[in-house]
Amino acid sequence: MGGYGDVQCIDENGMRLDGRTKDEVRPVSIETGVVPVADGSARIRWGLNDCIAAVYGPMEAHPRKIQRQDRAVLDVRYNMAPFSTTDRIRPGFNRRSREISKVTAEALESVVLTELYPRSKIRVEIEIICAEAGTRCAGITAASVALAHAGIPMTDMVVSVASGKVHDIVVCDLNKEEDNYGEADLPMGILPNTGELVFLQMDGDLSPEQFQQAWDYNMEAAEVIHKEMVRALKGGDE
Amino acid sequence: MSIPLVPNLLRAHLAELAAEDKRHDDRGQFQGRDVELEVNCLPRAEGSARVRMGDTIVLAGVKFQIMTPYPDRPNEGGLMCSAEVRPVAGRNWEAGPPSAESIELGRVVDRGIRESGCINTEDLCIIPGEKAWQVILDVFAVSDDGNLFDAFGLAAIAALRNATVPAERFEVGEDMPLDVSKTPIMCSYHKVGGRFVYDADKREELGGDERIHITLGDDDHVHSLQKGLKGIFTAAEFAEINEQARSRCAELRDMVNNALEGE
Repeated sequence: MGGYGDVQCIDENGMRLDGRTKDEVRPVSIETGVVPVADGSARIRWGLNDCIAAVYGPMEAHPRKIQRQDRAVLDVRYNMAPFSTTDRIRPGFNRRSREISKVTAEALESVVLTELYPRSKIRVEIEIICAEAGTRCAGITAASVALAHAGIPMTDMVVSVASGKVHDIVVCDLNKEEDNYGEADLPMGILPNTGELVFLQMDGDLSPEQFQQAWDYNMEAAEVIHKEMVRALKGGDE
Repeated sequence: MSIPLVPNLLRAHLAELAAEDKRHDDRGQFQGRDVELEVNCLPRAEGSARVRMGDTIVLAGVKFQIMTPYPDRPNEGGLMCSAEVRPVAGRNWEAGPPSAESIELGRVVDRGIRESGCINTEDLCIIPGEKAWQVILDVFAVSDDGNLFDAFGLAAIAALRNATVPAERFEVGEDMPLDVSKTPIMCSYHKVGGRFVYDADKREELGGDERIHITLGDDDHVHSLQKGLKGIFTAAEFAEINEQARSRCAELRDMVNNALEGE
């Protein structure tokens, strides 16, 4: 939340900089099999976001200290490629990517039937190739599709999307300017079949009514994105 | 990269095929896999390319930064090439600091481009002694099914050749295309079953011996060589692959030119 406030993100007709209305999701397209050497993979293009997720495993978990006797562990890495943003990102792990990797792993562990693969590890690699706000949501969504593509048993997929507030107006699926200059950001990880949540973060400032509106926008957006996830996995048009 | 134990069966199988002048995927000794090249595919990069060779897929992105020129070269900017093979690209690539293999990859690609002189570092100077452009070329592996070297080399030069210097964003003038005067191309040969083959895939890399990388410029001048892994080769073997590299580099250079013309 930069909060600089000198960029007009919504015009007098309620149109956003990318031509969307306040309740509209950016265009989303998903394809599978984009990393041919992986056991499962997916690419999501969501606005200008371009994210690749690859799954390897279940495989032997090493070092042994990470093994769990009763279940598989998810080894999740979220990373932004050096050329994915306006200013180059120096390669290597940083605090932000480590936190996102952790919450992503915990979201996915909530749906993967890890108890089927004791003492093993499932590697989930999330690479942001091009970033335009909401990359953690794109990463979780792509990782869900990649896990399904790898044939890993899950109770549901996770659809992740972030709504927020800009110029005191609640908007669905923040874009880059809204993320930079807006006043709130509410990313959620939603199970589309039940409406339950496995991932939740928020920063900024929302009134109780605005919070509810952002929540509802995320739930509606999740339905739209879930359709595209299913279409990508089934192949062809739904 | 952790290399699994190579089953002797795979080595023996590749040797049997080589004795009959065959490869496991029915390619000829010096036949490459199909190559796809796409340029200008990364919206946040100032120059970019995507290369697919079989199931090997790589990206290259060019970014610019403003640097203070080195005191002994006040009229020159800089070029940096960095290769990252992250664990997304294959089950044997591990997380953590860059491995010796990925550092070698980056440095061999870097030398081919730098030593060809395709970028005149004096052109990168903005204010002598004060400001100059640093060109940063990042190559990134999406999927490693062997011969990352050639895929990286091809993506790297194609990305540089469609790069735009973002002078307006840095408020130092008008945007302009990066001047790249040559198109160095790398060709790699692996010893598999006792003979060199071009464009080895992952199985051939695992069941093979030494490898040789040759980067040639527009006029067939050699700009970088690298022998990697354990193995012995003869002058005659080198002469043969060097000859092969000339025609293959020319074909790939035409491919780069065509892709850029389509832009």
